Amino acid sequence: MAIARKALLISPELCIGCRGCQTACKSWNQLPGQKTRNTGTFQNPPDLTPSLFNMIRYVEMPSETNMVRWLFVSRRCMHCGDAGCMKICPAPGALYRTKEGAVAFNKEKCIGCKLCVAGCPFDVPRYDEKDKVTKCHLCFDRIAEGLQPACAKTCPTGAIRYGERDSLIGSAKKLGYAKVYGETDLDGLGAIYAFKDAPKLYGMSEKPEIPESVVFWHKVLKPLAYIGLGGAVAASLLHYIAIGPKKDEEVKKDE
Amino acid sequence: MSNDMVKKASSFEILNHWVLAVSFFVLTISGYAFLFHLEQVGSVFGGFNQMKVIHNWAGVVFGVSLFFTIFHYLPVSLKFTADDFAWIGKAGGYLSKKAAVPPQDELNAGQKLYYLVVLISGIVISASGIVIWLRPMAADINRWVLISHLLHNISFDLMVIAIPAHMYLATLANPGTFRIMVYGTVPLAWAKKRHAKWVQRMGF
Ligand code: HEM
Ligand code: SF4
Ligand code: SF4
Repeated sequence: MAIARKALLISPELCIGCRGCQTACKSWNQLPGQKTRNTGTFQNPPDLTPSLFNMIRYVEMPSETNMVRWLFVSRRCMHCGDAGCMKICPAPGALYRTKEGAVAFNKEKCIGCKLCVAGCPFDVPRYDEKDKVTKCHLCFDRIAEGLQPACAKTCPTGAIRYGERDSLIGSAKKLGYAKVYGETDLDGLGAIYAFKDAPKLYGMSEKPEIPESVVFWHKVLKPLAYIGLGGAVAASLLHYIAIGPKKDEEVKKDE
Repeated sequence: MSNDMVKKASSFEILNHWVLAVSFFVLTISGYAFLFHLEQVGSVFGGFNQMKVIHNWAGVVFGVSLFFTIFHYLPVSLKFTADDFAWIGKAGGYLSKKAAVPPQDELNAGQKLYYLVVLISGIVISASGIVIWLRPMAADINRWVLISHLLHNISFDLMVIAIPAHMYLATLANPGTFRIMVYGTVPLAWAKKRHAKWVQRMGF
């Protein structure tokens, strides 16, 4: 039975940059701490890693009225409706969609080819020391039991909310957000954002898309792989029946 | 007419051709299983994880074997003469029993073209496969992988069209040809009809 698609609504305006979600995620998923490096901002670690599924991006964006304006944005897998990672993955079951609409993974089925890393429009998938895929899976194990993902559960301000996707979009619109980021992109993202400003300012691409070459491969090259083979075999058979083999005694030469 | 036989392929060429063909089959079957998530095919290979390892190393075997074909086929394949163009104009005589074709060298024009297609797509598929497999250090590695993924699959499509046609032409369509892959020899009479310029050049 299909259930209503679930999502995370992320509201940078409410985020205070406490990184409770980052910690809760590590705790629930038993991800080890790691050496990090100072890049001159409070953003830490600088980007997602194999043991960091969810992080707060710290964007310093002074405005005319506010010289120390920060934008805090949760960065993680977006659980795309049309997911580039799933499209390109050659191993069945390595990346799969849960009934709530999350894109989860199974390390045992992952063959470690890392194509998903190139297929994702958001540069999300990472791989561990055994070359297996790792990324946010929307706490598939918690939400299957009716719990919230660890990040949403921990967030003290409601900057990360988990719920039915439609009603989250509805509530953001009621709060005056005319456009919700990810409402329609890639068949709708599973992590949607209430942005006050242009997505660019928050470090998000305005129009995320699966790489063109992957779409072309999926729509043209894949069908051609069996149409081409079938065509070559069919043409051979047809030739054999309609014209027939070149028997030695029939071979003619121009002299 | 006598029963004289002439040698068309050395033992090494025969062996190398089988290595090329078997590795190609392993790669193509596992390739289709990756493309279309064929779970049963995966279990024949002992699961997708093991199939990946087999696919990658079969690729190495394929690449090495392809390299050796260069010595056997490339020089003659690069020599296109007026007779070759005329042969192509007549579609090699394959479309009508009445068509007569100009005399051909060790490889006919179709075989030359076929070899060039396989050589180029074989080099591309091997090189792109190695990029996907080993992910050489590069700042924009994701772009390299995407380009390689595209090229890997374009050459795959070319090969799965060209190679079955080659198999048909080398067996059913031309009785007497397949024995080259087993014995390396053909009857002189057969060679005179199909590769007259070669027979003349070699002085058989
Ligand atoms: C040196 C040669 C080759 C290497 C290193 C290589 C490597 C790879 C790699 C790394 C992949 C991604 C999945 C995986 O990790 O197994 C792949 C996929 C694939 N390969 Fe190859 N390969 C080679 C030759 C070939 C050949 C000769 C064929 C067929 C004629 C072939 C057909 C395919 C297909 C259809 C796929 C699935 C589509 C895709 O994921 O791109 N490969 N290969
Ligand atoms: S954000 Fe990337 S990893 Fe997450 S579902 Fe979309 S394509 Fe896959
Ligand atoms: S690394 Fe794993 S999850 Fe990613 S595309 Fe390859 S098999 Fe799929």
